[in-house]
Amino acid sequence: MSVIAPFHGFGLALRRTHYTDFLETQVPVDFVEVISENYMVEGGKPLRILEETRARHPVILHGVSMSVGSAQGLDEDYLERLAALAQRIDPLWVSDHLCWTRTSAHNSHDLLPLPLTAEALDVVCANIDRAQEKLGRAMLFENPSSYLTFPEDEMSEWAFLSEMARRTGCYLLLDVNNVYVSAQNHGFSASEYFAGLPLDRVRQIHLAGHTPATGERSLVIDTHDREVCDEVWDLFREVAALTGPVATMIERDDAIPPLSELLDELGRARNIAVNAEQARAA
Amino acid sequence: MSTLAERQAEIMASLLDEDRPLPANLGRRHEAGLQIYRNNYRTALVEALRSTFERTERLVGEASFARAAAHHLITTPPSSWTLDLAGCGFADTCADLFPHDREVAELAWLEWAMHLSFVARDSSPTNLAGFAQATAEFGPADWEGLVLRFAPGIDLRTVHHDLKALWSSLNEGEGEADIVPLDTPATVIVWREAERPVFLAVTQAEGDALASMIAGASYGQACAAMAEALGQEQAVETAGAMLGRWLGEGLVEGLA
Repeated sequence: MSVIAPFHGFGLALRRTHYTDFLETQVPVDFVEVISENYMVEGGKPLRILEETRARHPVILHGVSMSVGSAQGLDEDYLERLAALAQRIDPLWVSDHLCWTRTSAHNSHDLLPLPLTAEALDVVCANIDRAQEKLGRAMLFENPSSYLTFPEDEMSEWAFLSEMARRTGCYLLLDVNNVYVSAQNHGFSASEYFAGLPLDRVRQIHLAGHTPATGERSLVIDTHDREVCDEVWDLFREVAALTGPVATMIERDDAIPPLSELLDELGRARNIAVNAEQARAA
Repeated sequence: MSTLAERQAEIMASLLDEDRPLPANLGRRHEAGLQIYRNNYRTALVEALRSTFERTERLVGEASFARAAAHHLITTPPSSWTLDLAGCGFADTCADLFPHDREVAELAWLEWAMHLSFVARDSSPTNLAGFAQATAEFGPADWEGLVLRFAPGIDLRTVHHDLKALWSSLNEGEGEADIVPLDTPATVIVWREAERPVFLAVTQAEGDALASMIAGASYGQACAAMAEALGQEQAVETAGAMLGRWLGEGLVEGLA
């Protein structure tokens, strides 16, 4: 499978409320990430916006519906459209999530957790092989937030991801917030998680916010609707020291603030990464 | 079925039916987590419907719309990989739920047709001059056999209310919905002008002719059907004006 060279830069997710900013001003980012499915359409304004954005910035296609964990395999129509979009946009890379979203009959439109079993690993690897073959390129897969583990689990999530990357040649998109959320919900150590990953396969880092647990609800919810919290910044500091320079971005999916607020957060990420790199070099 | 496939079928069934008992081997510890996934599923889909059917929501009110959306998710759970198609069939759901208020289903259909045309394939319409040039040498038989290609994403439907008035009255911040029944049913045509979905109301006779030509009928066949409905004299008059309107509005992509 093809090699994805490291890309050292800082970016933001493109959201509708910021279209004008990205098309009419010089937004100081090194790349832009878009939700693939929003542009897997026949024509119209969304594709025009994406093409104009692509003319100004490198673009990453980040999907939410590949359903790489589906026991029934991948949706060939979906793959066809994704491949066409990738050909049209020539992205830095194409990514999706370690999860499943659909059965043969229905689609949940949510990133559902997989049982961490050898059987699921076989399914995921076969599906990734198919996707990478169709796209003609290696992909990145992101660790999900989860609220559920299964009695049949046979391995840790980091062991699953490591073996998945080893067998398929795919790369990893490490969402530090998702690690935090799942660590809180399932009681594992985020540091142990990082230590268990093949960090040389990490090509991108996501930073985001979440909704904390409450007195009535013990689970932390990955809402991506607020600023990155201090605990996640601490984890980013820890992982940045381990990975070295990696494409890093702030991901906000809901309650989208003015662009300036996201750029401030991105500036903080940049400072942490630069400090980590200086410490590594010293 | 594999163990994984069985597990996924169970989880999916639990999302679709909130009253369903917990899947096998999952205990109380898992219930809170499953509840979050159920909530995510419902919230994402209802939000998708609200975003697509903004005016329909304003027409029926938030509470009624929420009930209709929840009903739609039960009767028509999503099967496509794209959330953008979650509203497929919602106009039919509205027709079932609001049988005495037909304007609700008509408006929902209009919003859905515009939603689809928004991302239809790009194309450039043929204008009157281009069409005149393409048909300059046409004889009677050529006109009889003329078949047209129409704008991608074009759709049409018979309606019983003035949707233009209803649409305008439901702009954000406007007052009461303007529900005006029509004396005779009309046809509303939806297509996209550059990047903007638009619609137009025409007579049912014209709508029938357009529907038949979109389905592949020739101009001659459409005119013959129109003559049967309107009489020869009126059909001749209407057919010419109709073709001019389709070209002027940008509904025609070219000659097939």
